[in-house]
Order: sequence, then C-alpha cells, then structure tokens
Amino acid sequence: MRLLIVEDDAPLASGLRRMLEAEGYAVDVTGRGEEAVLAASQERFDLVILDIGLPQMDGFEVLRRLRAAEKPMPVLVLTARDAVDDRVRGLDLGADDYMAKPFAMPELTARVRALLRRSQAHGDPRIVHGPLAIDTVARRAFLRGEPLELAAREWAVLEVLLAKVEKIVSKEAIIQAVAGWGDDLSPNAIEVYISRLRSKLEPAGIRIRTVRGFGYMLEEFKEP
Amino acid sequence: MAARSLRAHLLRMLLPPIAGLLGLGAVIAYYPSIEPATEAYDQSLVDIGIALGSHIRPADVGFRLELPPAVEQVLRADRYDTIYYRVGGPDGRAIAGDLDLPLPLESGAGLHYYDTKFRDRTVRAVSMPAQCGASTCSVVVAETTVKRTRMAREILVSNVLPEVMIALATVLIVWFGVKRGLAPLARLSEEIKERSPADLHALDAGKAPEETRPLIAALNGLLEELAAANRNQQRFLANAAHQLRTPLAGLQAHTELALSMPMPDACRTQVEQVHEATIRTARLANQLLALARAETGGHTEPLSRVELKPVVEGVADEWVHRALQRDLDLGFDLEPASVRGDEFLLREALANLLHNALEYTPRGARITVRTGTREGRPYLEVEDEGPGIPLAERERVLDRFYRVPGTPGTGSGLGLAIVREIASGHGASIAIGESNGAGSRTKGCRVALTFPHG
Repeated sequence: MRLLIVEDDAPLASGLRRMLEAEGYAVDVTGRGEEAVLAASQERFDLVILDIGLPQMDGFEVLRRLRAAEKPMPVLVLTARDAVDDRVRGLDLGADDYMAKPFAMPELTARVRALLRRSQAHGDPRIVHGPLAIDTVARRAFLRGEPLELAAREWAVLEVLLAKVEKIVSKEAIIQAVAGWGDDLSPNAIEVYISRLRSKLEPAGIRIRTVRGFGYMLEEFKEP
Repeated sequence: MAARSLRAHLLRMLLPPIAGLLGLGAVIAYYPSIEPATEAYDQSLVDIGIALGSHIRPADVGFRLELPPAVEQVLRADRYDTIYYRVGGPDGRAIAGDLDLPLPLESGAGLHYYDTKFRDRTVRAVSMPAQCGASTCSVVVAETTVKRTRMAREILVSNVLPEVMIALATVLIVWFGVKRGLAPLARLSEEIKERSPADLHALDAGKAPEETRPLIAALNGLLEELAAANRNQQRFLANAAHQLRTPLAGLQAHTELALSMPMPDACRTQVEQVHEATIRTARLANQLLALARAETGGHTEPLSRVELKPVVEGVADEWVHRALQRDLDLGFDLEPASVRGDEFLLREALANLLHNALEYTPRGARITVRTGTREGRPYLEVEDEGPGIPLAERERVLDRFYRVPGTPGTGSGLGLAIVREIASGHGASIAIGESNGAGSRTKGCRVALTFPHG
C-alpha cells in the first residue's frame, strides 16, 4: 500500500511517515500542494493524507483538483482550523474522513486502515473481517472457513454493520436497511437479530457493541 | 451629567414663551373689555348725582337738600355696593349726605371721575355740578367697588381660562408627540435589546423618521466596525489555532513514535511525561481558543436553528471510542430539540462536558447524553456516575481555572467555564445536579444546559 502525505510542517510530516512506515505502508511526503497534485497525476497512491493549511495552494484546492482528475483514492484531511470545520465535516469537497490536529497516532492509523479497507473492498464482493468472510453477491458467509447459516434479516443487519466497522450504526439506519425485507420493524426486533448474530459470531471473537440509546457498532477484530 | 429628557427640554423651551405670550394676550384683551363696563357703572353714578341735584332747594340760609326718605332709599339701593353722596353748597361746604366724602383733587366745572378711600374702603366717586338757584352747587356720588372688582375678575377669568387650556394642550401635545415621534427609536432599542450579543447585522432603518436616520447610520457603522473587528479576531484565532496545533501534532506524533520503540525504562518514564504534557498542552490550547471564540460570540453570522440531536449523533462515534478506551459505557437518550445557536460552539460545549465525564467517571460506569425538551424548553445534558460536585462547589466550578480542591487528574479548570460562556451566549442556563441513576455507588454528576423557548 502506498500513501501520500501532504503536510508542510516537517516534524509532523516526518512523525507521520515513520509511524505509517512502521505499520508497513510505503510513504511519500510533500509539503506543497502543487507537488501533491503532480505526484498524484503521475503515480498511483492508495490513500492521501492531506493537510488543509498548506502554503500557496491550500488543501481544499488540492482536493478539488484530485477529484476533478477523477482520482478515486480515499483522502484523509487534517485540519488545524476551527472555522473550516464544518466545510471539512460536510465532506462535500470529496474528503473521505477528517481529523483535527492534534490527534492521537493510534486513531490516525485506525482511520487509515478503515479507509483503505473500504476502498479496497470497493467493487469486491468479498468482505473479510477477521475469521468472518462474506460474499455479498453470492450471499454466503463463512466463519473460520465453515459456511455460516444466516436468516435473511440477520444477513441484512450484518451487511450494514460490516460496511461501517468501528462506526456506530443507529437503530434507525439498521431498520431502514432491513425494512426492504418485509413489513414494519420495531427497534425491539432489531435487538433480536443482533442477539442472534452475536450468538453466532462472538465465539469466533467478533464483537458487536451496543451503544446505549443509539445503535450498534461492529468492533475492529483483534487477534485474541 | 444627568440624562436630559427631550420632553423636559422641549417643555422648558416652549412653556416660558407660551406663558409670556398668553399673559400678554390676557392683558391686551383685559382693558378693552373692562372699559365699557366701567363706563356703564360710572354712568349710573352720574344718574344718581343728577337725581340728587334735582332735589336741592333754597333754604333760609343757602340751600338744603329736600330728599324724602323713600327717594333716598331708592337712590342708595344697590345689590352689592354701598352708595355714598355729598351735596355741597355754592361755597363748597357740605350741606347734606355723607359730609366727609372726599372731593376730587382737581377742581373746576364739569364731571370728575376719581378713585379714593372712604371709611377705609376703596370707592369710585364722581363729582358733578348741580343748579341751585342762580349759583352752582356740587354733588359727589361714590360707591364701593364690590361689583367692579367682581366684574374685573370675571372678565379676567373668561380671558385667562382658554389660555390656560391652550398651555395645557401644549404640554399634552409635546408629551405624547415626543413619545409618538420617538416610537421608531423605541422599537429600534427593543430590537437591539432582543439581539444576541453576537448578532451584528445592520439595523433596518425601515419607517424611522428622517431625523433619526443619522443615528441609525452611525449605529450601523459601529456595528459594521464591530463585525469587522470580530472577523479579524476570528482570523487571528484561526491562525493562532493553526500555529499552535500543527507543532503540537508533530510533537505528539514523535512522542508516540518514541514510545512505540524499545528504550530503557528510565528514559521511557521521561518520554511518557513529555507525551502527557503534550496532550495536556494541546487540550489547553484548544480550550483557550474555544473560550476566546465563545467570548467574541464566535461567529459573525446571525445564530441559526440547530437541531441538537444530529449534533450529538455526529460526534457520537468519536466519543464512544474514547469512552471504550477507558472502559466506560457511553449511552444516549436523544429526543428532538431545536435551538437557536452556533453549531460549532454547541459541539464545543458538549465536548467539554463529555471530557469531564470521561475524566472523572470510574471504569465500568455509565455516562449518558440526553437531548429533548422539558416544559417546552430544549435541553442538552450529560450525566455520569463519577464522584459528583459538592453542593458548595457548584457555583465556583464554573469559574475559570478553578478546580475542586483534591480533584485528581490534570485538568485546567477551563472546561466548565467554556460551557458557561457558550451557554450565556445562547441565553441558556446551566444546572449542575446529581445523577438520577438509581443504584449507582456514587452521587454522580448531571450538567444540564436549558435553552430559551424555541
């Protein structure tokens, strides 16, 4: 995996590079927006970490040009500003995620992993989550290589959660995703499907966390 | 200097000249109207004198007045005044009537009208000649001035009364006219009063009278300057944030990197300390910026409608992960709640409340974020199962840099001060209470921001 870091602050850029290299990524660094646009046009990167506050061509402009050139790689935006918070947050410029400076490195690497996983999975019907592998086209699931029986609605709920590992999925969002499969669903019904999924997945170390009063979150799989 | 009332000022300017003019008018009207009346009264005195003169008869020596009592009674009869007379012989000596009635100062033939004193009363007198044989006698008739005074008073009153009413009407017209004329200004001041301190858009001159336009224009100029100053400060804050946060992010990256590598234990302790200090400094920088932003209103645009529920949902991910790292159960109880406010600052307030809750709640305990409406007022609250804040400290914890003595951890004491600043910018009240949670081992803490009606 090859990453491009666009950050003009040298200490931060070198810290990011070393941390991400330690994670096993190939990393290129530039401090100038123009250079980033040029590099992205000539070479293939799997992900761009882009600082908004660059000298001359700022991060927004870099992002705009990358998207105009139909570069599909995910972009993680770094910002030190408050005022642009909402603009970045809206992600309407085509950023895939954003982080406010300063940030904890483990959080950044987790986001990078999640973005890469999502973009790699794009167009790929297979999703792998630890010992769980599902084929979204064939609609088949395997746990530790063994076929896993899932009812239609359990399948739908798992698909929604797998699409957003480490993100909270609200009960409403799950109901909306599952409602296509039948009539009205109560939040209580969702709880039933979740508990069935848990009983099937937890023995393999896959945990679905309840976020009280809100929804559920499929936790990142960690080797026991 | 005491504020000058426009009304008082106008009245002070208007009333003396009006009073003067009215007084002058009264005087000018008084004499023309009193003169004919006086003449009529004088004429009746002359008539009495003529009647008396016709009763002078020759006597043994000189002349005498031969006046039957019935006639005298008729002549002296008057409803209001006492009538006196004196008849003098050709030699000037009194021969009948009130002998000591004063004579006119000027002598000579013909009628003399004059005012004088008789028996301690002011009297109006007229002296006239009367034929007595071949020579001339004199008759003086006088009367007290009761009816004349009375008439003068009546004339005066009938002249002055309308003028007093004109003066009163002037006062009323000035009083209400000023109020009415200044009504647009009153409306304007209401509008300014109702504004949030952050709302700096120009005032609408609307139907304000021409005379108030310069004032409104000046106010708008001031508002524009304030807004510009605000914008400058915002720009400065944004730059300051950038300047501080980027190197801090670099520092944090390197301390984390260092900690991920093998190193001697003694060294590791030092790096851990540097790392802790970095994180604390970063948070402090963020808080100072947030405080400065909250103080300036933080925004140059008018407040907009913000739905609290999506605001909380938007940051739920981030905070749930932080809670999980500390083995805390962060939950939500979100009902729709719509407030007028600044979304960024509201998120900042929530972040500070959640940060405190995460900091002070023991592992395994619950933290709950709630939004909704109570008695029609939207609220946002964070409840935890931490040690709570003692009753006596609940006011002081809102002060900047104040921390409850003995509090563990490394907080700056700014979090709740920021929350208070943001709350006051939104017209919201802060209530610090105990957790409602049943069965928890500690009192817990519940901080609620309650916003004004819709």
